[in-house]
Amino acid sequence: MTEVPANGPLLSIRDLTVEFGTEDGVVHAVTEVGYDVFPGETVGVVGESGSGKSVSVMSLLGLIPQPPGRVTSGTALFKGRDLLKISKKELRELRGGEVAMIFQDPMTSLNPVLTIGDQLAEAIRTHNPDVKADEAEQRVVALLALVGVPNPDTRVNQYPHEFSGGMRQRAMIAMAIANQPSLLIADEPTTALDVTIQAQIIEVLKAAQHETGAATILITHDLGLVAELCDRVVVMYGGRVVETGDIYTIFANPRHPYTVGLMDSLPKLVGADEMLRPITGSPPSLMHLPPGCTFHPRCFLSGGRLPCRTEVPPLRPVGDAAHLTACHFAEELHDRHPERAAAGGRA
Amino acid sequence: MSETATRATTHREYSGSGEEILRIEGLVKHFPIRAGLLRKQVGQIHAVDGVDFTLRSGETLGLVGESGCGKSTLGRTVMKLLEPTGGKIFFDGKEITGFSRRQMREVRKGMQIVFQDPYASLNPRMTVREIVAEPLRINDLYDRQSGRKRVEELLRTVGLSPEHGNRFPHEFSGGQRQRIGIARALALNPRVVILDEPVSALDVSIRAQVINLLEALQQDLGLTYLFVAHDLSVVRHVSDRVAVMYLGKIVELGTREQIYDSPTHPYPQALLSAVPIEDPTERGKRERIVLTGDVPSPANPPSGCRFRTRCWKAQEICATEEPALIDRGHGRVSACHFAEPLAPLALKDGGNGSAPGSL
Repeated sequence: MTEVPANGPLLSIRDLTVEFGTEDGVVHAVTEVGYDVFPGETVGVVGESGSGKSVSVMSLLGLIPQPPGRVTSGTALFKGRDLLKISKKELRELRGGEVAMIFQDPMTSLNPVLTIGDQLAEAIRTHNPDVKADEAEQRVVALLALVGVPNPDTRVNQYPHEFSGGMRQRAMIAMAIANQPSLLIADEPTTALDVTIQAQIIEVLKAAQHETGAATILITHDLGLVAELCDRVVVMYGGRVVETGDIYTIFANPRHPYTVGLMDSLPKLVGADEMLRPITGSPPSLMHLPPGCTFHPRCFLSGGRLPCRTEVPPLRPVGDAAHLTACHFAEELHDRHPERAAAGGRA
Repeated sequence: MSETATRATTHREYSGSGEEILRIEGLVKHFPIRAGLLRKQVGQIHAVDGVDFTLRSGETLGLVGESGCGKSTLGRTVMKLLEPTGGKIFFDGKEITGFSRRQMREVRKGMQIVFQDPYASLNPRMTVREIVAEPLRINDLYDRQSGRKRVEELLRTVGLSPEHGNRFPHEFSGGQRQRIGIARALALNPRVVILDEPVSALDVSIRAQVINLLEALQQDLGLTYLFVAHDLSVVRHVSDRVAVMYLGKIVELGTREQIYDSPTHPYPQALLSAVPIEDPTERGKRERIVLTGDVPSPANPPSGCRFRTRCWKAQEICATEEPALIDRGHGRVSACHFAEPLAPLALKDGGNGSAPGSL
């Protein structure tokens, strides 16, 4: 499972554009998106509803309905193979094997008429036909124990409706890591859960990552979760990547006005209770995206300057080579937390 | 959107001196569980099970808890949108518990509610103007000349323009719909507004706009808020005092600082420690209390203290004796036999990211 060149990306997305044809017109869900995921790291893809964060990832796995959806351009190299070019059969073999997924709502992703154990065993044996039934069952019990399902010996024979929301999400994670994936995709894995259950699932996710060494793409709207779990962040707005970098840099010195606006909009749980500074206006319609920079009508920095209204700003390095922003005037932004930038290193 | 109403206000100091405007005593709301052919009652959901609190003029009381704890039911029962099973509600010094629908009409001029879901709470067949005017019409306060003006004024107050009045709810985004819901709630000049998860359905950037609007309205109109929410950061931002609910009961109630800086009940302690903080440099530098198990069913709550099945402090007394919500020497009320202040959000000593502790 390690054909990846040392230091090379595990997944490399370039120029990905996804549209949806509707009666009213074309929805530009994802436009020219590109980023890399390196082995073992956790990348957070953040954005609000309609930012394209989910579609950009799901389209790689053939998980958007086509039609109305269509991938109009792009490559997505995963271990040297272009996910956008390989056959449906090859894609099916990858999903649940080398690439595993965890969704927001486990109830819709688990089969209600099969026991949890049967579903997990099936997931294992589909990808490893040589594994014998009793061997698979042992592995299932071990997996359930790993994700913290109590009494896995009995729980294995229960149906999804007999599991609580948190327990179902644990079962989903067990299924995701059943075949030692090298890439885990978690789409809002804790959004449907309460805080105390979310805390449990975060620990389980960490254990699952530790167990498999898998790289993870975490799709979320929750910046707290990103700060807690991720190594790098990709910020999306209006279907495009507007900023990307390592989390310490992004949280301390965001260099895109949208990222700054998101952070200023968040009430804080600790520290001074500052006044919220919301982003004005509403997100753009993906059918009628503004010309130039998609964010310019809401931008506090632009001031209506010509380049913002006419030229799409390219993603370009700002500061260090790994910190990219798509803003014409990024240099005018100041550090949010200079003291944190100095504290830089991993905690 | 007009920015006049979204201007933010700085947080005012809570003096705690406002006059009492709403008092709840031992409020109970049970829902029957029916089964079988004859729909016989086989049990009941203890959604709200003996809740006391007082709301003082001009303050915001945050009511926080996880799903199923009864916080929304409590908000609706206070408004008598749900008939209370037991207990008493006093509004403006008068007991309104037994009030008829007609009598409640008068009460609701002074107390209004804004719902979570801006998609479900607005009638899709009515124009925005009709929606906002409806409370005025119901109370015979809408007259031809001034009515239209009043609606336009209300729309402007919540940051919409009067031209929006002729449109239908589906033409608006989630944040704008919530503004319409707020305008409707303000139509009768209420003194108390119950906000039931008013920003939970909104994206971060829009959520901040609505929070600022609510704060500005409170200051301009002297409103009193009961702010029901599950988001602990939002509740901290808006509240003067905070009540934490678990399985139908308030487990601790105090000033915002008391609850966030030094809660004494294990549940708020665990709840606060579980929230991911938006600062990667502090990752792993807080003690995280990871509770085991799930919330028990409100149809069959545990004996004694309801939190004991997930509590690391639980002793025998917790199963046999229900802890009362009383001042246990920490200047606020706490329903724990072993109440003791803890700073769940403080950084660990030395703070060099060792593994988070779990219990």
